[in-house]
Amino acid sequence: MRVLVAKVGLDGHDRGAKVVTQMLREAGMEVTYLGIHQTCEAIVEAAIQEDVDVLGLSSLGGGHLVYTRTIIELLREKGAGDTPVVVGGTLPVEDIPALEAMGVRAVFPAGSLMTDIVREIRRLAPGPADPA
Amino acid sequence: MDGAHDLEEAYFERLKTSETWSGIPTRPLYRPEDLRELDYGRDLGDPGEYPYTRGVHRDMYRGRLWTRREVCGFGSARDTNARLRFQIAQGVSGLSVIDDNAGSLGIDADHPRGIAEAGVQGVSVSSLRDMEELFDGIPIDRVSVAFDISGLDCIAWMAMYVALAERRGVDLASLRGTVQNDTLHFQFCGYGDSCPVDLGVKTSVDIIEFCTRRMPRWYTGNANLYDMREQGLDASQEIAFGLSLAVAYVRKAIERGLAVDEFAPRRAFYCSAHVDFFEEVAKLRAARRLWARWMREHFGARDPRSWQFRFGVHTAAVSLVPQQPLNNAIRVAYQALAAVLAGAQSVHCCSYDEPIGLPTEASQTLAIRTQQILAHETGVGRVADPLGGSWYVESLTDQIEAGARRIMEEIEQVGGMIAAIKSGWVLAEVEKAALRRQQEIERGEKIVVGVNAFRAAREKETPGGVHVSPPGQGEALAAAVRDLRATRDRGRVSRALRALSEQARLGEHENVLPSMIEAAKASATVGEMLGTVRAAAGHLYDPLGVLPPPEL
Repeated sequence: MRVLVAKVGLDGHDRGAKVVTQMLREAGMEVTYLGIHQTCEAIVEAAIQEDVDVLGLSSLGGGHLVYTRTIIELLREKGAGDTPVVVGGTLPVEDIPALEAMGVRAVFPAGSLMTDIVREIRRLAPGPADPA
Repeated sequence: MDGAHDLEEAYFERLKTSETWSGIPTRPLYRPEDLRELDYGRDLGDPGEYPYTRGVHRDMYRGRLWTRREVCGFGSARDTNARLRFQIAQGVSGLSVIDDNAGSLGIDADHPRGIAEAGVQGVSVSSLRDMEELFDGIPIDRVSVAFDISGLDCIAWMAMYVALAERRGVDLASLRGTVQNDTLHFQFCGYGDSCPVDLGVKTSVDIIEFCTRRMPRWYTGNANLYDMREQGLDASQEIAFGLSLAVAYVRKAIERGLAVDEFAPRRAFYCSAHVDFFEEVAKLRAARRLWARWMREHFGARDPRSWQFRFGVHTAAVSLVPQQPLNNAIRVAYQALAAVLAGAQSVHCCSYDEPIGLPTEASQTLAIRTQQILAHETGVGRVADPLGGSWYVESLTDQIEAGARRIMEEIEQVGGMIAAIKSGWVLAEVEKAALRRQQEIERGEKIVVGVNAFRAAREKETPGGVHVSPPGQGEALAAAVRDLRATRDRGRVSRALRALSEQARLGEHENVLPSMIEAAKASATVGEMLGTVRAAAGHLYDPLGVLPPPEL
């Protein structure tokens, strides 16, 4: 299965995004990390082009609500609204209902264990090669 | 291990590991023979004496308590000014300001890609007008101010701060504080693309040179060990990487023509206090000794103040987790205790909501109270270096210093820190460490309460509430900058930016800060001033490649 990991906006904290990328790869997934300072448009384009099974957004800069909403809307506009979106990073639990209401399928606040992240991502897009 | 674990198993529970956080093996007991090699005068010395293992001041906190400051920045300059005043009312003894993501990148609040995040992760400051509002009613000639700022934006902030002081008629020589000014380490904070290595170092040295000549009470830069440690480095690596950063600036300042004893007395460090208590105390003591020896042996510094490792501490945000957030207050208290027992000059305590969002008034108040309880109730500051002479702590100090010295020598062998950064060696080390830390938690090799042990159901809300950016904040901040652009004297701005550009083109040894101060006074924006300097050095005017350079 293919996963796109992306950081949107100006927030440059990407230790977590890189660690997640590495550990998803070790779990057998094909992962692309787009790097910092991406726009919503560039992320959606990459998600569609690479036909990813899951799009993971990392946010530690407080922009998670604004950017996630824009990205999900753009995905829908471009006919890729069924791409599961997950969000991780520094965010308050108070924002989780709002993210879920936008259509976010899983939220991983800082301190989440990789075992949980891997399990959730597998559940969202069980590929044929994955042990279901 | 989980919340509902077996009671008998719990009764017989033992320590998970006998290694320190950094992987140093320890024995159950340390005895005098562990320190047989130790020579008091050579290896420790009294506080205030070379090699300063026991502290940089003879009287330590009897002379003056550490500076209690809490990093602060959100929303507009007025919003942050109100919080700074609130902090002052709660009894902080110094201020510390951090800018937002747009500022870190050196763009303005009205940049098309900056609007959404203006004021979100720090204070939005785009011009001298904002700087004036930020310090409105705050006597900058009597308060110690730290700028928790490290990118190219440092020089813009210095320009605006000096302009503010001059406008207020404040003597620059009276300004007390610190600018972080560690542009090199910014490569590892996710802002490297906006702060090219050579240009960053050049502007860092501009600040060192200017402040050395004009602002004798100002610290010209903190090598940022803290941000490096946050990536996952261990204690010896933290010191080695941080001191190697500091060494790089010392070299560059000497190349600029400054004598080491002219500027080194006003250099400082910004360290982590992580969660392994004795290791952290030992680490900070080791750093003091290693720096003193390095400055004397490698740079021939003669002024004792050039040997002194003066440091602020930021408790380790990376050790804090959003699960059961109040637990973080406990972690922070232990970390601050380690910092003080190690003789820190200044401490920032993280708020318990650090891994959740920006601090609220309530969470920041608890962080301030944590420091005040430490200062005034526990009595730990009564005696200098109270852990000095502990067989265990001295052994750890020796081991961490030896480990750090090995890494520093390795960095020297590849040509120093700047070369090690450019070659990608440092990044590779940092990424390796980050991965290792996560694996340790996944495998249960390191216990983090609430994460891989003693878990509980996820909270529905954060105790004490969370900081929320008001809707429309970015638009309002952007509108204020557009208003400034429309109302300022355009001719004056153009002339000032042209002068800045010309000075910036004169070469590496030409200090651009004086021209930038004039540009700041002419109401040039941070984005314009830094864009001008970037373009003059052959880089993109706009680090994000969106805006063209303005016609001057």
